[in-house]
Amino acid sequence: MEKNRIYEDLSLILRRTSRVFSVVILLLLLLIFIYWKVQILDHKKYWNLAEANRTRESVIIAPRGLIMDRNGIILADNSASFKASIIRENCPDIDHSLDEVGRLLEISPEELKSRIAKYESLPLFWPIVVKDNLELKDVSRIESRRLEFPELIVEVDPRRKYPFSSLAAHVIGYMQELTEEELKSQAFAGRTLGELVGRTGIERQYESLLVGTDGQRIEVVDSQGRRRGEVSRLEPRPGHNLKLTLDFDLQRKATELLEGREGAIIVLDALAGEVLALASFPTYDPNKFITRFSPQEWMDLINRADHPLENRAIRGLYAPGSLFKLAMAVGALNCGVITEQTSFFCAGQVNFYGRPFNCWQRGGHGTLSLADAIRYSCNVYFYNVGRRMGIDRIAEHAKLLGLGEKTGVDIPGEKEGLIPTPEWSRRVRQMDWYPGETISVSIGQGPVVVTPLQVAVYTAVIASRGRRLVPRLFKSSDSPRAQPPAMAVNNPADKIRPDLFEKVVQGMWKSVNEEGTGRGAKVSDFNVCGKTGSTQLVSREAAEKLGKKIKTHSWFTGFAPRDNPRVVVTVLVEYGGMGGATAAPLAKELFSLYKEKNDRSAAH
Amino acid sequence: MIDRRLIKNIDWYLISLLVLNSLIGVIMIYSASHYMPGSYHWRQLVFIGLGLLALFALLLVDYKVLMAFSFYFYGAVVFVLMMMLIFGQFTSKGSWIRLRYFGVQPSELAKVVLILVLARFFSEYKRNQATPSAVITSSALVGLPFVLVALQPDLGTAVSFLPLLLGSLILAGLKKKAVIAIVILGVLAGLAGWSFFLKDYQKQRLSTVVFPGRDPKGAGYHILQSKIAIGSGGLLGKGFARGSQSQLRFLPARHTDFVFSVIGEEFGFIGIFGMLLLYYLFLRRLFRSAPKSRDRAGVYIISMVSLMISFQLVINVAMVIGIFPIVGIPLPLLSYGGSSLLANFLAVGLVLNVTMRRFANI
Repeated sequence: MEKNRIYEDLSLILRRTSRVFSVVILLLLLLIFIYWKVQILDHKKYWNLAEANRTRESVIIAPRGLIMDRNGIILADNSASFKASIIRENCPDIDHSLDEVGRLLEISPEELKSRIAKYESLPLFWPIVVKDNLELKDVSRIESRRLEFPELIVEVDPRRKYPFSSLAAHVIGYMQELTEEELKSQAFAGRTLGELVGRTGIERQYESLLVGTDGQRIEVVDSQGRRRGEVSRLEPRPGHNLKLTLDFDLQRKATELLEGREGAIIVLDALAGEVLALASFPTYDPNKFITRFSPQEWMDLINRADHPLENRAIRGLYAPGSLFKLAMAVGALNCGVITEQTSFFCAGQVNFYGRPFNCWQRGGHGTLSLADAIRYSCNVYFYNVGRRMGIDRIAEHAKLLGLGEKTGVDIPGEKEGLIPTPEWSRRVRQMDWYPGETISVSIGQGPVVVTPLQVAVYTAVIASRGRRLVPRLFKSSDSPRAQPPAMAVNNPADKIRPDLFEKVVQGMWKSVNEEGTGRGAKVSDFNVCGKTGSTQLVSREAAEKLGKKIKTHSWFTGFAPRDNPRVVVTVLVEYGGMGGATAAPLAKELFSLYKEKNDRSAAH
Repeated sequence: MIDRRLIKNIDWYLISLLVLNSLIGVIMIYSASHYMPGSYHWRQLVFIGLGLLALFALLLVDYKVLMAFSFYFYGAVVFVLMMMLIFGQFTSKGSWIRLRYFGVQPSELAKVVLILVLARFFSEYKRNQATPSAVITSSALVGLPFVLVALQPDLGTAVSFLPLLLGSLILAGLKKKAVIAIVILGVLAGLAGWSFFLKDYQKQRLSTVVFPGRDPKGAGYHILQSKIAIGSGGLLGKGFARGSQSQLRFLPARHTDFVFSVIGEEFGFIGIFGMLLLYYLFLRRLFRSAPKSRDRAGVYIISMVSLMISFQLVINVAMVIGIFPIVGIPLPLLSYGGSSLLANFLAVGLVLNVTMRRFANI
């Protein structure tokens, strides 16, 4: 180095150079320290982040169990479709991304935004379903532009499909998407957004049976969300299939008969309590819940005056009218206040407690025995019976026979109805019971209300001469553990002698077969026994005063054949007029179809 | 014109470190991009070969001659940069001029020219302290290409001009007051640049250095993914070409600006430490070359080259771990890119040029 000096003295700038180098060394040491911290101290944290980056969990939705009629006709099926979801986490710019996705999927940006806003509080990595029921051609269009849309995923999505649309809609029920709250709740742990859940009917009742267990797939994905391989896969377990007691032909017939009316029809197996048909009208298409309503369609549906979503068979409350006379008859015989020979004179009107009570037959029926009183549905006869029994014993027997109590049918939402008592009057109405009300209740008017299904069960009790059964829609399932909920009911046979029913049945047989009020339901060689009812909505006097034509709810309930009964049919038509005129002929159609089917299967 | 004695004085140790580092770069580029079309590792290998040719060609000409012509070079570079700005939309994209087979970034080569110009300017400067006029002149010399490149916009390359100015001024001797003044001016210029000149994406990049987690898919995304890559590497790394962050493309600009993250992920802290050790040896050799210069200009050249490469190294290594804004400065020698590699080879060539001619009158 001595040699250098002879040229120039560079020591100052050389010193400065080495000072700069010292600073560089210091900076490098600092950087090493920082790398040490990130790589050694925080290694675990970044390792987990890298793993989370690398893998994506996705749900493989299990197909829902099928719902079939008793003969295996599929009433609720699954169709393969696809759904597109947005993962907000992968959106570089959510607004821009929504615009683009909206254009791709042909959804208006407002609709898309409101949908995203609906699930705002859910974690960012949860896919939000923005469009479902996509067809294969839509899917290929989306897949071809995969790279432009890292936030969009398309998955197979087995969707509920009801091949007969509105048929048995009220039994099967409908499904709706899980709400944000439900998704966060324990009850729906493991369910994913966009999944549907049964809201009514069988779909709700047997949700846990039908739902199946979703599978899971863990995939390796790259930064564009493209699949690079699969780490693990848990196959989905499909839901259990369910066979209902419904008979497709009877159900279809019942639905056809109600077409254009408002009302309900129930066909029960008289011995097993199996529901062969349960129709309510007006009805709706449960497929619409799957494909989503437009807001307008939804508002129209729920605001309709005739409430198509209501299952009238289990939720409609109606006065039983003359149908109640059967309970009166059984009760009175059981209490011993009358015998089958007891006769009363009907002059078309009778006075009790200082006011007149009318018979529907203005001229009166003359002197009637019990069987004929049922046959002609004489009001005056049962006014007298009611007065002898008193309200407490009436209520006791009505309940014993299944009225004013839940039947325990295995679909949710059933209503209880009401059999009034003085105790109820004091508790609920906060007024005393008027003896005159007992007279009204005797013919199924006044505060007494029941559901059509209760009437069907009540008819079955009479048909079986005292055996109360719980109506069932569940027939069988491929799951061994599945059972319909058990419900204990009082068996009237313990308290009422079977032969007492026989006397009432005789009146019902006469009503249909000997030119009684139920003659419209007569089916040759089938020995239909039945009873009509026409429920007054306003009293006849009031209607006459107002000059209005009275329209009554039209009832018919009956069973067949008379001995060894097999089938119960109950028909209610709202504002249908006289029970004999409207409801009985509808019941006849069902009795004859049942007989025809049974004869056919017996012939085989 | 080249003497056998000169060849004897070539610093082969420095060349070996230069080539070794560059070849490690090729390996990492392979790991980061072998699954993509483009054969970047082969191309980089070609660049290294071309770089070595250019380096040896540079050795043929005495740096004094180069310095003598430096103002012509300077004029030419400034002219090209201006033309690029004016006709940029027709012939080039940003800082690139597209040639038949690959693009060239004149801004990278401008560094080498600036080194020569500054060395020439300060070679006759023998005071112990820099005068204001010297500061102003040298600042203007660097400032002109700086502005032209920053407007391209290529902030990263423009910023890497600054250590050349800083280095030469430090050697020339700055008072403490002057250093403070420069820092204050720098901050003011930074603020002014922030509000008037920076593009939005650059602002975002700067702001997310502080909060990378706030916006995982936005500008902070790249920093976060790079940190995840490095942190998940741990002590020993995930193995060559087995890093999920780079292989699954979570890591941005894997074969260019973020190649150091790939080392961190696949070779762990050991790899990082080893790589920085190699850089340290390389830089030490560069800095320690300064006393071998026979004159003032040579010391300036060596100091500026050393500081330039150190600066790029420190900024890039700090950038990929998220403590410095992502300004687009490549890792010297390792990052893929012909122009940057060539500029660094030429710069090292200048150092070799100085040290091999340490004995006067040869």
